[in-house]
Amino acid sequence: MSDYVAGMSSDAKNSPKRVVFVTRRTSAHVRSVDEEQVQTYPEALFRAALAVQVLVIALVLLSLLFNAPLEGIANPTVTPNPAKAPWYFLGLQEMLHYFPPIVAGVLIPTLLVVALVVIPYFNINIRPDGVFLKSRRRNLTVFYIVAASLSLFLWFFDVYVALAPTLMVAGFMLIAAFSAPQSPDRFRRYLVSRPVSWWIMTWFLLELAVLTVVGTFFRGPGWSWVLPWRS
Amino acid sequence: MRTPNKLWNSWRGLFRDPIRPFGISSALLLIVLAIAPAKNHFSEWRHYQRGYLKLIRNRPDALVLQRHFEPGIHQIWLPDLGVVDRCETCHLGLTETSLGDIRMQPWSRHPVIPHSMQQFGCVICHRGQGAATTVAAAHDSTLSPDEPILPARYDEASCGQCHHVALEGTPTLNQGREILARYGCVRCHAIKLPDGSAEQPTDEPPPLTHIADKTTREWIYAWLKDPKSYAASATMPNFLLSDDDARDISAFLIANSVAESGDTATLKVASATNADPAAGASLYGESFCASCHATQNAAGNLVGGDLGPELTAVGTKVKPEWLTAWLRDPKTYDGATSMPHYRFTDQQLALLSGFLESKTNSDLLANVHLDAATPEQLAHGKQLVEEYGCAACHEIRGVSRPDNYGPELSRVGSKPVAQLVFTTGMAETLPAYLSNKIERPRSFGPGLHMPQYTFTPAQVDALTTALLSLTDRSYTLPAKMRIAAVQQTAYEPAGRAGHLMTDLNCMACHRINGHGGDMAPDLTWEGSSVQKQWLDAFLKNPNTLRPALIRRMPRFNLTDEERATLTDYMMTVYQNPTIDRDAMPLRGYLPAMVEHGRELFYGKYACQSCHMVDPAQDKGYIGPPLSAVGSRLNAEWIFLWLKNPQQLRPGTIEPDRDMSDDDAHALTAFLMMQTGSGNKGAGK
Amino acid sequence: MQPRTEATLGRLMASRLWKSIFRSGRGTSTLHRSMAIQQSVFLHILPAKVRRRMLNFDATWYLGTLTLGTFLVLVITGILLMFYYHPSVPQAYADMKDLRYVVSSGLFLRNLHRWSAHAMVLLAFAHMFRVFYRGAYRPPREFNWVVGVILLLITLLLSYTGYLLPWDQLAFWAITVGSNISSAVPIVGQKIHFLMLGGNQVNANALLRFYVLHCVILPLAAVLFIAVHFWRIRKDGGLYVQQSEPAKGAGEARVSTEDSAQEAVAKP
Repeated sequence: MSDYVAGMSSDAKNSPKRVVFVTRRTSAHVRSVDEEQVQTYPEALFRAALAVQVLVIALVLLSLLFNAPLEGIANPTVTPNPAKAPWYFLGLQEMLHYFPPIVAGVLIPTLLVVALVVIPYFNINIRPDGVFLKSRRRNLTVFYIVAASLSLFLWFFDVYVALAPTLMVAGFMLIAAFSAPQSPDRFRRYLVSRPVSWWIMTWFLLELAVLTVVGTFFRGPGWSWVLPWRS
Repeated sequence: MRTPNKLWNSWRGLFRDPIRPFGISSALLLIVLAIAPAKNHFSEWRHYQRGYLKLIRNRPDALVLQRHFEPGIHQIWLPDLGVVDRCETCHLGLTETSLGDIRMQPWSRHPVIPHSMQQFGCVICHRGQGAATTVAAAHDSTLSPDEPILPARYDEASCGQCHHVALEGTPTLNQGREILARYGCVRCHAIKLPDGSAEQPTDEPPPLTHIADKTTREWIYAWLKDPKSYAASATMPNFLLSDDDARDISAFLIANSVAESGDTATLKVASATNADPAAGASLYGESFCASCHATQNAAGNLVGGDLGPELTAVGTKVKPEWLTAWLRDPKTYDGATSMPHYRFTDQQLALLSGFLESKTNSDLLANVHLDAATPEQLAHGKQLVEEYGCAACHEIRGVSRPDNYGPELSRVGSKPVAQLVFTTGMAETLPAYLSNKIERPRSFGPGLHMPQYTFTPAQVDALTTALLSLTDRSYTLPAKMRIAAVQQTAYEPAGRAGHLMTDLNCMACHRINGHGGDMAPDLTWEGSSVQKQWLDAFLKNPNTLRPALIRRMPRFNLTDEERATLTDYMMTVYQNPTIDRDAMPLRGYLPAMVEHGRELFYGKYACQSCHMVDPAQDKGYIGPPLSAVGSRLNAEWIFLWLKNPQQLRPGTIEPDRDMSDDDAHALTAFLMMQTGSGNKGAGK
Repeated sequence: MQPRTEATLGRLMASRLWKSIFRSGRGTSTLHRSMAIQQSVFLHILPAKVRRRMLNFDATWYLGTLTLGTFLVLVITGILLMFYYHPSVPQAYADMKDLRYVVSSGLFLRNLHRWSAHAMVLLAFAHMFRVFYRGAYRPPREFNWVVGVILLLITLLLSYTGYLLPWDQLAFWAITVGSNISSAVPIVGQKIHFLMLGGNQVNANALLRFYVLHCVILPLAAVLFIAVHFWRIRKDGGLYVQQSEPAKGAGEARVSTEDSAQEAVAKP
């Protein structure tokens, strides 16, 4: 049952062993095996410390070379144009440009947080197989409807900034839908095997990145388009 | 592709055996962490402190200077004034009296100023960022609330933040403020002062309600096109109007004018036309018109005062009938004018208006030919009058005075550079912006209405200085530091005499009880000061008291009754309650006392260096001559004046000699003996 | 030099003083190394042993570790900055100037705090996406994912509250823009806005509120949830490693292509 060897200075493997009770109806089938383990100290701790140190060195160098911004003293009577939120909220501020505050400022962030929280609790997110591999017809129909209505919605409200990543993801999904799992192309094989949760998250990541970059670098006075390299 | 891959692999390799990389990264981390303190050690201000020590090392006064020197950051911290000035960290020699020979910044000595640096700091006067300890940030930062260093030629602006009264040491600032008031700047641009008052205009733009009575459309046209072509000293700016615009505005003003029956008069005085042509000129001189009005002489120089308009070519401008009526009683045409009501006879009126009408400039209207205006042109003229804010200065029938026509300038001296729009090729600083705006207002973009003034560079600097004194700081500094400008009271003399004084516009030149001009003596205590007989005689024929002055009291041709009214009123009302003017007699002083006073006058107090008692002998001309003072002033006044002149007339330059009562008595006795040419030798 | 240093170190670690501080004592045996973890109040939240595969850089990119690293840098620099900072108007802005021009290395301190804060937000997002794409959120780790989302929100709030503290134009208007959004919440929007700022607009009260949130409440909450996060990593079966990945250096580990969700590894 156990191969424990008592002794204070033993270097022998002393990992606990698994015990399996096999009932009559099932046959024994080993799904996972013990794998090599190492001591947290020093193996993990030193690696972690190394990673952190490299990061800190980078941050220290950054701090030596670039000064944190400091503008004039706060003045409620002088509004800078544009007044921008911190960069990680600029995606939301970009949305605020298209939708009323109740939608862009309250509804979207709330939905986002809720969506993030429930991710591990939905079976669909757990399923690891490619979205168009099982029940292909139904999934294709759902995909067409969702992609078209989302695109139309964004197009209707002139949200081209958010429309572009949507169309991009939809395009890749189309490629995935019409590629064989054994396609000779590696990239296609990769796309085919992506589950639905992967596609949704990728769409979200793209939207977040594009909106944030646009809000940070491409928006000037009156939230109009500017080119960052031309100012 | 290979190199990044390789890099990536070696990066991953770090995590296979972390011990050695960990050692290296630890060492690296310590090194980079040490850079920050090292950077600190080589900071700019330490460099300047080392430089200072090197500078003073071999000087004879090195020991004293080294003892004064303390390493580290120095600061003047004045929470009341919002001052945290670390300028002295690098400017180490500011208060070292022995460093007068050092011209090298940042170590030179500060010139002597009336304020202590420890009480005011540096940025209140020089601007800049006091908290900074780097050269660039301390001098050039434009991030509000920091301001870049104020160029030295505008330094007087900083005095104006607290001193709203004219200072002797700030001629540029004083001149600038005068221009602000005199050229009508404050009629379009409101300037509120921290104490709640507002900068008041001192010009008198004439009302245009009855303009057609006074002048012709052609003259208005020429004037609008370029006021300077009519009068070199014109204060009206050039609006750079097109020919069509000037045509339409002149048409509108003439059409909009209503005739006033009292505005024109024709005289039938036969003798006037036959009179000596020089008679008009001599009447002009006798009436002291030149005290207020200037004319160009043959050499092209302006001669005369600037209180009224220049009269060089007045004949080209005004209609003879209007001029006659105006000279007879100016208040009919303009109730608010400063022009006094002379009591001219018809004969004199004819002479004077004839003389003035002969002053013409034939070139001015030679090329002005205007056709009758169409209704469209009239409408366009009115529109232009409204657009250009003419009614901000002039009263125009049917056009209401625009409120805040131009931007308010109350805090223009603190305007952040980020809020300014610069034209190309212009230094991007506030002083440069202001002086350019004054010199070339229309160059800042189309559609601007600010007119073109013709200021000399010195005037532009003065005006810029005055504008730069209007800062945010002047509002935030403690109120007790503020030295308010002298405010005009609402005093008006009462009764019949008061009516007469208003008619004669006495207050245009004299100040009484804090109201009126400052061109002539303050009359508040005139009744305590002078003798009644003298006053009556003076009003009848004002001979000049101070020959050194060009401006003189005009002769108003008052009737005996009017004179009596005025004299009685002044002798009764304008008395200082603490002075009994009859406390000392006018005559009958002991000769010994008079002689003692005489000795004091020429000896101990050396009064003759400023005053004259014997015009043949004495040379003093700074103060008024005293040869007839005994028949002008009361003895008690002279006594009190000698004891403490500033108490009777604040700001007088007469020195307070701290006299004993006996000395003052003796001097008074001596001065009372000086009763004019008839008694010339009385004191001797 | 090398052997002598080692000898000195060895003697030091064998001393009574050293032993009184570090209970695990000296030694390189598995037991000693396990005790080094178990006997330390800071480290005992970690398991004594971990699977070798999860130490590979490719497995995690060390994003979680790095996020923790920035948090530690922020705590240290933040405490130092607190020595120089007054949460009042306009002293807060003057303190920024003092940090910049007078305090020794004050500028560096502020720079490091600011850039680390940005890095932490960035790393927290990266960590989240990395965890998602590797499927590490799946049962039994679902609750730890939720804790992670909470930590992400705390990170954002920390950064946001800190953004106001310099009291410059950037800070004032960023917070004004951000806080105005809360007014859009139906019915209670205005109340939330008022509660958040201690007034109807960004003012001295807001500065004080944000200061307390930034320096006391949110860091405490962050520490609490970080502890839970780490504890749950251990209790939920250690860092997640996809079964499809070969165990480098662990030669005999076999590979199962089956769904890994059912994998269960009992830990001490």
